[in-house]
Amino acid sequence: MSQDELNPSCSPAERKPASMGEPEAPSAPLYEVHKKIYPRSVTGLFASWRWALVWFTQLLFYGLCWLPWNGRQAVLFDLVERKFYIFGLIFWPQDVIYLSVLLIIAAYGLFLFTAIGGRLFCGYACPQTVYTEIFVWIEERIEGGRATRMKLDQQPWSRRKLMLKTAKHAIWIGFAFWTGFTFVGYFTPINILSLSVVNFSLGPWETFWILFYGFATYGNAGYMREQVCKYMCPYARFQSVMFDPDTLVVTYDIERGEPRGARSRKLDHKAEGKGDCVDCGICVQVCPTGIDIRKGLQYECIGCSACIDACDQVMDKMLYPRGLIRYSTEHAIEQHWGRTEILAHLIRPRIVIYGAILACIVVAGAYGIATRLPLKVDVIRDRNSLSREVENGLIENLYRLQIMNVSETMHRYAISVSGLEGIDIAAERIVEIPAAGARVVLVPVRVPPESGKKGSNRIYFDVNAIGDEKIAVHEKASFLMP
Amino acid sequence: MRQLIWILWPSFVVAGFAEVAFFTLIDPQELYLFGEPTHFSRTATYSIGFFCFWAVCAASSMFTCFIQRSSDEVNRCTIAATCKDRVLTRN
Repeated sequence: MSQDELNPSCSPAERKPASMGEPEAPSAPLYEVHKKIYPRSVTGLFASWRWALVWFTQLLFYGLCWLPWNGRQAVLFDLVERKFYIFGLIFWPQDVIYLSVLLIIAAYGLFLFTAIGGRLFCGYACPQTVYTEIFVWIEERIEGGRATRMKLDQQPWSRRKLMLKTAKHAIWIGFAFWTGFTFVGYFTPINILSLSVVNFSLGPWETFWILFYGFATYGNAGYMREQVCKYMCPYARFQSVMFDPDTLVVTYDIERGEPRGARSRKLDHKAEGKGDCVDCGICVQVCPTGIDIRKGLQYECIGCSACIDACDQVMDKMLYPRGLIRYSTEHAIEQHWGRTEILAHLIRPRIVIYGAILACIVVAGAYGIATRLPLKVDVIRDRNSLSREVENGLIENLYRLQIMNVSETMHRYAISVSGLEGIDIAAERIVEIPAAGARVVLVPVRVPPESGKKGSNRIYFDVNAIGDEKIAVHEKASFLMP
Repeated sequence: MRQLIWILWPSFVVAGFAEVAFFTLIDPQELYLFGEPTHFSRTATYSIGFFCFWAVCAASSMFTCFIQRSSDEVNRCTIAATCKDRVLTRN
């Protein structure tokens, strides 16, 4: 293989060997003098994983909103009705604790995976990575490979360039608005939403949010790309606190690679005092954030492993062993550990603690949901009247009971009251509430005046589902005596 | 442009959190505007609420950017000089 074959379309800047430990040049100011990055496409093990995750996350995102369940949308965050439907589960604003549990699980999950394998989320599952991947794929289908795209951008405007650019942006915009439409489809039932789109009767806010989300997708994946990760993402800034010397990160093996340099495949490069790095610069060309991994771990590295795939291909061509750039740890590189030793260091206090906390929260959350009572009752005293005397000298207090049926079947509930001698309800005691419905019931409670002390008296409301003894709520309230 | 992003982006993120926290706890239909119950739909209240949060957070970010200027920048005071100076001192 000739030198040129190993250096295809490599710019002089990329060819220049980057000496180790050299202080990094000041980065270009944000969004001012930004050098466009043309990522070169790459194939290999990690690229396949990345694409598998693109397919998985996107099939989930674009498909899940169309899935029906019991005559409704399976996953719907109905903000208008203030109810979240996730398959058989219905969450009300009162269930905010589960949202907190979910956020804590997500945070601890992120901590755990970062401590084990670095930025796995960024490299494989983050929407920014996934949409950038899709947008670059579209770009490459229309404009061609890396070198062709760079050439096209340098060319003056021509009919062909205009057509290519128009086609690319048209597909990008179409894709972005479909994404926006899907996003809004998780908040407004997507069947109604699609009918509104077809009939041009979309509400102003739905229209606005589809455009807003679509525009954000187009801007982030089409233009800002790695800049979002480098300058806007807070996770990129604090990820280092979760790293330790045993964290698996994309690493360049300096000892094996240096001194780098071009060479002929026929020569024994070791006899000439050269390392395994042929300095082809392909690892830099494939990098979506445009960094040189050979300079060591940098906060811009999103851990996508594109450079591992690219370097492995070069190593194969050179008939050198793979893994000059590989997933490894700081300790492993220092102490020349193999796979078994790296795996042995996987279990360490940090991982055990993160794992244990995560497991506890997952179990507690799952237990909470599994044993959740499908009935909620809020007792509110009527603010307009404190207490009044009614016929037979009885004292009456008025309560508003908000009864929420959190299950997917209709229920009839019996309301009863206790806590004071002779206490009784002077209204209907049986209410019927449809599946996933709620009703506010006005409950006048009457008590003989001699039963309670002057001022506040503790009483209890019981709401029981008729036909299912397990569904019962016992709520306390206070009864005011004049 | 950079300053604009510094102002708009963190405030967008914080406004998102504020929106979720606020409207999880408070039903838009229970809000009063100038002593009258609001007549907007929930979707409208959520959307307007989000932009209000964003605006308030952006105002805070803007104030941070404003008082962050060094004495040199304040003394020179022209915007062009400020930007140029900032880039030079950073580099």
